[in-house]
Amino acid sequence: MCTPAAGRGRVRLNVGGRVFETTAATLAGAGRDSMLGAMLDAAWNQGAEGEGEGVAEYFVDRDPECFAVLLDLLRTGGLHVPPQITEGALCREALYYGLLDRVRAARWGEFEGDRLRLAASVAGRAPGDGTAVRAAPDGGCCVAHGGVVRVYNWMLEERRPVYLDHAPVNDAAYLDEATLLVAARERPGRRDGGVAAFSALTGDLHHRFRIAHDRQIRSFTPGALAFDHRCKIFASCKGRFNEYGIGVWDYNTGDQADFFYEPPGCALGDADKLQWLDGTNTLMVTTMFPRTDNSFISLLDFRDKNVAWSWSDVGTPASLEDKHVLHAIAMEDGRSVCVINQYDDLGFLDLRNNAVGVRWRSRSKLTTRKKTHNEETCYPKLAAHDGQLFASTNDTISVFSGPDHILTSTLRGSDAGAICDFSIGGDRLFALHNEENVFDVWDTPPPPVI
Amino acid sequence: MSSQKKRATKVEPLKHRTDVDPKFFDKSWKKLDDAIREIYNHNASGLSFEELYRTAYNLVLHKHGMKLYDKLVEKLKGHLEEMCRSLEDAQGCLFLEELQIRWDDHNKALQMIRDILMYMDRTFITTLKKTPVFDLGLELWRDIVVRSPKIHGRLLDTLLELINRERMGDVINRGLMRNSTKMLMDLGPSVYRDDFEKPFLEVSESFYSVESQQFIECCDCGEYLEKVQKRLAEELERASQYMDAKTADKITGVVETEMLSIHMQRLILMENSGLVNMLIDDKHEDLTRMYNLFKRVPDGHSTIRSVMTSHVKETGKALVTDPERLKDPVDFIQRLLNEKDKYDKTISVSFSNDKTFQNALNSSFEYFINLNNRSPEFISLYVDDKLRKGVKGANEEDVETVLDKVMMLFRYLQEKDVFEKYYKQHLAKRLLSGKTTSDEAERSMLVKLKTECGYQFTSKLEGMFTDLKTSQDTMQSFYANISGDTDGPTISVQILTTGSWPTQPCAPCNLPPEITDISEKFRAYYLGTHNGRRLTWQTNMGNADIKATFAGRRHELNVSTYQMCVLMLFNSTDGMTYSDIEQATAIPRAELKRCLQSLACVKGKNVLRKEPMSKDISQGDTFYYNDKFTSKLVKVKIGTVVAQKETEPEKMETRQRVEEDRKPQIEAAIVRIMKSRRVLDHNSIITEVTKQLQSRFLANPVAIKKRIESLIEREFLERDKVDRKMYRYLA
Repeated sequence: MCTPAAGRGRVRLNVGGRVFETTAATLAGAGRDSMLGAMLDAAWNQGAEGEGEGVAEYFVDRDPECFAVLLDLLRTGGLHVPPQITEGALCREALYYGLLDRVRAARWGEFEGDRLRLAASVAGRAPGDGTAVRAAPDGGCCVAHGGVVRVYNWMLEERRPVYLDHAPVNDAAYLDEATLLVAARERPGRRDGGVAAFSALTGDLHHRFRIAHDRQIRSFTPGALAFDHRCKIFASCKGRFNEYGIGVWDYNTGDQADFFYEPPGCALGDADKLQWLDGTNTLMVTTMFPRTDNSFISLLDFRDKNVAWSWSDVGTPASLEDKHVLHAIAMEDGRSVCVINQYDDLGFLDLRNNAVGVRWRSRSKLTTRKKTHNEETCYPKLAAHDGQLFASTNDTISVFSGPDHILTSTLRGSDAGAICDFSIGGDRLFALHNEENVFDVWDTPPPPVI
Repeated sequence: MSSQKKRATKVEPLKHRTDVDPKFFDKSWKKLDDAIREIYNHNASGLSFEELYRTAYNLVLHKHGMKLYDKLVEKLKGHLEEMCRSLEDAQGCLFLEELQIRWDDHNKALQMIRDILMYMDRTFITTLKKTPVFDLGLELWRDIVVRSPKIHGRLLDTLLELINRERMGDVINRGLMRNSTKMLMDLGPSVYRDDFEKPFLEVSESFYSVESQQFIECCDCGEYLEKVQKRLAEELERASQYMDAKTADKITGVVETEMLSIHMQRLILMENSGLVNMLIDDKHEDLTRMYNLFKRVPDGHSTIRSVMTSHVKETGKALVTDPERLKDPVDFIQRLLNEKDKYDKTISVSFSNDKTFQNALNSSFEYFINLNNRSPEFISLYVDDKLRKGVKGANEEDVETVLDKVMMLFRYLQEKDVFEKYYKQHLAKRLLSGKTTSDEAERSMLVKLKTECGYQFTSKLEGMFTDLKTSQDTMQSFYANISGDTDGPTISVQILTTGSWPTQPCAPCNLPPEITDISEKFRAYYLGTHNGRRLTWQTNMGNADIKATFAGRRHELNVSTYQMCVLMLFNSTDGMTYSDIEQATAIPRAELKRCLQSLACVKGKNVLRKEPMSKDISQGDTFYYNDKFTSKLVKVKIGTVVAQKETEPEKMETRQRVEEDRKPQIEAAIVRIMKSRRVLDHNSIITEVTKQLQSRFLANPVAIKKRIESLIEREFLERDKVDRKMYRYLA
């Protein structure tokens, strides 16, 4: 869609005083819905300048350095940013030309646990003590600090934060890249806790999810959050009148769909972590030390309101070095749960058998735990991604691969104290440090050219 | 990255605002405003896209997005209102064209405006979930132009008027129509639906309601249907030309309802031209049309079917109950076959071989064929006729088709066992008199019957064929045995197994001595080779060739066995009284009378002379050798006066025999059922027996009841002591 006489497709662009010569075909690669595409469109070239000379010339009043990078992107599909250009400037220019999606696509590399490099280290403004970090599907993330959830886009620019009127945040989750689900604690005397969906783009409240018991709306404190692939949202709920259990909502309607009341001997209402298991159609609920004295893991089947599988360390002889299960993650095959204790030992539980003990694998010889930061340590966390297992221990994240979970990489980023939470999403891993309120961003560099 | 700096300055919005020219927005908007005006005025060549884009970008960057958006809405509104006013002034049919031009302009302009404001579309509008610029332009066009009070109705009226004119035969600008409906579709499916489709369907409904009323008053059914078909095709074509694809089904639905559904009964039953007349006159084209059109209408086919069925039943009933038709069985069956052919053709040509129609036809035939209880006999006679002579010269395939058709009729019969009886008789006559022309055809018919009714049905018929074959062999070996003794008459004997053949017990007559002689020789031979058998002469069925001389002329007479016996008497005397003949031959009276009648009273074949001369034979008559007999032929065949059709008492007799034969079959069925069920109530027995015997005949409940009683008497069954309606099987 360029001028017919555009010099057999050649176009001359004067960007901020520097002249670039390229072909209309290269610029057409930007698409009609971009600034460059529109500029070359026939509608805007009726009295075409440069007609007859063979080469169409345009003037663009922008920075030539960034344009050179973007033109290179259009020519090659690859993004090579010289060191003098800041990320912010490049993104701003890309947005001007309508090429931001292309920059993002060029940046996006398939997540590979063993090839991660520290891409950025973002310092937040909050005075430390972040609760949680969550990766967004598009490469952004959010960090919960007290009553605020700070939201970052994939360029790691901070968006408008989600304010919860000072109600402390217990958990957050991205339903999709534009919708953030937040669980806020109820404060004594104020009925302000609950689960709500916010726009991740603007920080506006979309919907508040209510719980009714006997048809009466009751306030509650939600703990961990989870959702399945059929628009169901789950939250562990602690009501004021001992209405403990798992609340279920339908995201499309926003209405309460179900409530799984806590059966005796089962800890559901104050869970640390919920995880939906697609293969078995069950929800894994984990309640851990030190929130409770004993760790408790169960699988709930909502179709028949049944506890399909459960495990607890109640009654385990204390002599066994007093190992407490501190975090758990269901493996991606849905057959086992991986747990970790305060000595950073990994253990496994078989989900296909009820009433089995933890199979511990001592890895103390693998860890090179430096007890330098004695001031404050964080409890370890686990994550599973693409067959790999990630464990955060102190200021390091260890990557375990293969069926035997052999340690293959360790990630150690900024010197900002222990890692209190980390999250994997999109093509990135985010690690939140405890003391300095800094989060590290790890991503996979593009593969080598040859 | 620069967070340290930012944290220091908390009041950053104020700082921005002071830096910027207070008239920044107004100046920038003025630029864009002018540009938009120029774009609408087709004067965009002087505009710099880059500059405009940058201007809009700066506005959004400096947080004027909302203001810019509002201004844009205002500007577009103003422009569209102005456009709307000028449109209202457009005259008559130019209106649509004008609207079209404006719409194209607006589209092009919108595209360019969107280009300028692309940055706002990408950032401000996505974040705040506002309507994007292009869609906003369409919405405003819809609300301000298309749905403005003065244009809304006018647009619709113009479109409908044009469609109406096209329906009346005018040629209209279809391109314009297409563009107009396309515009409505572009504005969203609901706009097209509410602003055009719905009123269009309503108008069409009333149009076709009126038109169908007119047509039905002045057209016959065929013409009417032709018109409907034309209209349907037109509407489909119209819809494909300038409407949404989904409208096609809806508009044809309207035509179907208005022109077909509502008038269905009247059309199908229309006097002098409706379905019945089409069927009678074989109007296949009309029938095809009717079938295809009423396929679209609920209950259409079932109505056609029921009308056809009742018509077929009625005509069939008239045919089978017409006493005039009963006189000629062959013609009777031929008519039925023709009727069947006729409807078969109609169904295959016009009703696309629809199974439901075939079934309906079959049940109609079944209904009326069984109205006449002589149908089985007639069908057998028809076959007899065909196998006796009709097949001569005709090739095998023709015979096959005739037989296949007959089998079709046979399938409709309820009393298949009656047919079997008659068929046996007729077959026996054919075989014994040597009149079957094609053994192939006979066999083929048997195979057909066998596949239709099973082995049991044809076993006896097959036995007849075997008998004839063995008889031939026996005769050969007999003559080989008595060779040399060639003097005197020869006989040919056919040995028939009792039971396989429809023989009647007959009193033996006195054969002439020459014949008795050779017969006895044969008897001795036969019984000598076959142990433990009994041989009875069926003299009522044979025939003989005898040589006679009349006034010096030699003739060969072909006569029946009885006639031969009579004639042989005249070898020794010239005249005999009736009672003498009766005494000498011992032929049963009725037979004798018949045979004398054919010898003495048939003109040209009167080899005997009767005194007194009269048509009837009486006790006192005297018969003389007629020496005045002449004939041009050497060979004279003297037939017995035999009615092809059964006489009344014969008929009664056959009937009775059938009833008699049914008894054991019913009993067998009852016993079979009771053996497996042990206990059963009366009504269930009746149903089950009827079901079991269906393939042979329709059992009469009264007959079944009689059989049950007989079985109780013979202690096969007993009545339940408590419930008298229950029967119990006694093992």
